[in-house]
Amino acid sequence: MDKNKHLDSVISTHQITKEETLFDKYVKKKNEVKEALEDKYESDIYSPFNSGSYAKNTAINTKFDFDLVSPFKRNAFGCSGTLKEMYEDVYDFLYEKYKDVAEVKKQKVSIGLEFYADSDGDVIKIDVVPGRELSQDQYKENENLNLYVYYKYGNIDAGSERIKTNVKAQINNIKTRATDEKDSIRKIIRLLKVWKNTKYNYPTKSFFLELITIKAFDNKTITGSIWEKLETVLEYIRDNVTKDSFTLKDPGNSSNDLADTLTSYEKQQLSDDMKNMLDRIRDNDENLKTYFPENSKFKKEESKTNQYGTNSGMPVPPPKLNFG
Amino acid sequence: MSQRVNEINTVIKGIPDVKIVKPFEQSKIDIEGCITVFVGGLMQPLEFNVTIHPQYPFKSHETETIKFSNDNLIEHKHIMQNGAICIHTAHTPVLSQKLIYDIESVKAWIKKYYINKDSDTHYEHLIVPQKAFKENYFAYFFSEVDYTFHKNQFGFVDYSIMNNGVFYKENIQSSIFQAFLNKDRKKIVDVDWNFQLKNLPQSTALFVFLKDAPSKNQRWVFNDWKDFETTLPQDFLKFLHNVEERLAKENGKTLPLFVGYNISETEIHWQAIILEIGNFPIYGEKIDKQWLTKIEEDRSIHWAMTRNCSYKYFFGRGKLSERITESKILIIGIGAVGSILAKTLIRCGCRRLGFIEFDVKEPENVCRSEYSFFTGITNKTNDLINELCLISPFFEPINGGYDYSEAFDFFIKSHLADTGIKAEMEKHLEEYDIIIDCSADNGLLYVLSQLQIKSTLLNLSISNHAKHLVCAAEQNRYDFIISQFAGNILKFDVDDLHNPTGCWSPTFKASYNDINVLVQAAIKQINTKFEQEKTLRNFFIETDDTNCFNISIKEF
Repeated sequence: MDKNKHLDSVISTHQITKEETLFDKYVKKKNEVKEALEDKYESDIYSPFNSGSYAKNTAINTKFDFDLVSPFKRNAFGCSGTLKEMYEDVYDFLYEKYKDVAEVKKQKVSIGLEFYADSDGDVIKIDVVPGRELSQDQYKENENLNLYVYYKYGNIDAGSERIKTNVKAQINNIKTRATDEKDSIRKIIRLLKVWKNTKYNYPTKSFFLELITIKAFDNKTITGSIWEKLETVLEYIRDNVTKDSFTLKDPGNSSNDLADTLTSYEKQQLSDDMKNMLDRIRDNDENLKTYFPENSKFKKEESKTNQYGTNSGMPVPPPKLNFG
Repeated sequence: MSQRVNEINTVIKGIPDVKIVKPFEQSKIDIEGCITVFVGGLMQPLEFNVTIHPQYPFKSHETETIKFSNDNLIEHKHIMQNGAICIHTAHTPVLSQKLIYDIESVKAWIKKYYINKDSDTHYEHLIVPQKAFKENYFAYFFSEVDYTFHKNQFGFVDYSIMNNGVFYKENIQSSIFQAFLNKDRKKIVDVDWNFQLKNLPQSTALFVFLKDAPSKNQRWVFNDWKDFETTLPQDFLKFLHNVEERLAKENGKTLPLFVGYNISETEIHWQAIILEIGNFPIYGEKIDKQWLTKIEEDRSIHWAMTRNCSYKYFFGRGKLSERITESKILIIGIGAVGSILAKTLIRCGCRRLGFIEFDVKEPENVCRSEYSFFTGITNKTNDLINELCLISPFFEPINGGYDYSEAFDFFIKSHLADTGIKAEMEKHLEEYDIIIDCSADNGLLYVLSQLQIKSTLLNLSISNHAKHLVCAAEQNRYDFIISQFAGNILKFDVDDLHNPTGCWSPTFKASYNDINVLVQAAIKQINTKFEQEKTLRNFFIETDDTNCFNISIKEF
């Protein structure tokens, strides 16, 4: 099996341009939510913006990651209003507005909107991330925001108000690296997102995978084919993520350590998953397909000559191979 | 004197603080003697009659073949019914060495239980002499109930005979408690067992709850009825008298009486006495113009056996993680893999199990699954429920009939595009905490992989010759299974299949042993992950018998 050929196909079948119709639906829905927030909060809110993977140029077409950052003014919830009050107020508004058409869920730092399937069966998911400027009008100067942590987030306790960050700086940092190094960093990030998407509710955020990929490229000499690059990044994660000294600086605030967004158990799980993946692919190249599947919707049909049971001219159905 | 007797006398003579009072001599079968043993802390040495059986220095039936007895020590801890100290020492085939070990053990017993009067942390049941009643033994099994008995409460117990068996050389009848009723036969509380046990024909017994153990020294159960004189309330004795009167037509039959007492603040133990109708150990006596029921002198008590079969004792020796045992589990497909899995789960403490299987058991299924020949051709679901009811009194089949299985297959496969029915199926399946698909039906695997359900969903299937077992536990389960079996990853023989007579599709070749070793390894892996609170990943188990048998687990 040619691992590089397969990985190239994984990337190309996951290109966002291949799902333009669905993507347009996402954009439209994102704009609707944005307008609803602006109508509701009027002068108390700055313009909400998308901070998801599309904004960072790292998107895949099986999971769009639309995060709508909603920057509130310092006194939007009263001069003594708390971040918790901000979070609850935005949740209450979104719940009332969308409860009949979507599932509205409180998440770690965001509020999830999962719209019920439309007539095509498409489900649109948008995460609204409420943030508040640190002092009156300061956002206009440096775009820093305080976020509220609703659920325990790695080592960050629920109710914590200590996430201060600059989401735009985060976006720009990743977008620049992903665009400048599109054959290496961008491809590896996309592949890791494809892998993450094979898991249910994986605790590691895409943002973490983006940063750790960049860190691997900054700390190791990563060259060669796409598989060789991917292999080196997987090894880097396997060997480093559980180290006590391991940190991941937030490009939006250098005093934030993104390594804190995973518990030590979750870091160990990530490291173990990397180890298993490397071991299984070394056992048999074909296992690469299990970890990094092509998007079957856009997969090119392979030549019929390689298919089962065509040698005699009469098609022979494949035999049953698994039993219970 | 034989060389063996000589050796015993010589060795014992040489052990410090031990003196031979009566030298060892060969009796008809055993070698017998008498010794004293001294331990620091004693005023004077303790005397023991020593009996050495011919098997010595080897154990027989898991007990030592040397007995150190002293009737005066009978009230101390770890003294057996025959007055012998209960010792368990290290094995050695060398007689002289074994004698040294055993006498060291006697010294340790003297120090711990005679001098220091230590008590063990675990509860030691009263010693109840095992005697047959009219050449029959009786055993009664109870389970804890959600009810608090009060001191001197009495009434009836409904019980059911489960089986008539053989106890060494005698007959034994085993029964279960079914329900406690008050003296007016109004039900107080039911004893929970599986539905088949609950459906057994019922008979009547009596109970009295004393709160305190029927023992003078917390070691030995009362021997004679007169020991109960100060314990059994007059109300209860009168009740006994009335019961006997009412049962006059059944003279000569047995009637069990269960005597309950607390062995801890929260736990009750029941002992059983066999009464003979028409021969109760009571009589009436007129005192101050009033008839009182009195206990007869010189009547010994016929104790029977009881066993506490509550869940914690029944599975006390080992069970799976609570994450599994406390779950409501659905097994889809109960062929070789599914039936072995079901039986293992039930033996390992699971209670709530449902099945989906439309197939019928044929004689040729028996050799490598958990069905019996005896039941002939019957639905696998019915047959397995019966098998599992025989194993665990706590098995609660949920769904699992043939109709349910047919309906499941129809709805889940025919209505995937119908969002309403799909949502209903998802809701129904989410009532189960764990769903294990052992059907090897890749169509069903595909359908299940399209559902959004929070339950833990596992898929187990094996390759020909049971070379591999593949367990899919993750979201990509369909692709994983298909790629492992048909994606040029797992290597196994695809031609040497078993072709049953008739128009059947070929099936895999493998024995019960081949399959079971894989299924048990898979359960072990799943249980380990749950116990360690780790996320379960897809895995496969691979066997290799090129030289010797090797088995390895590969986690994804």
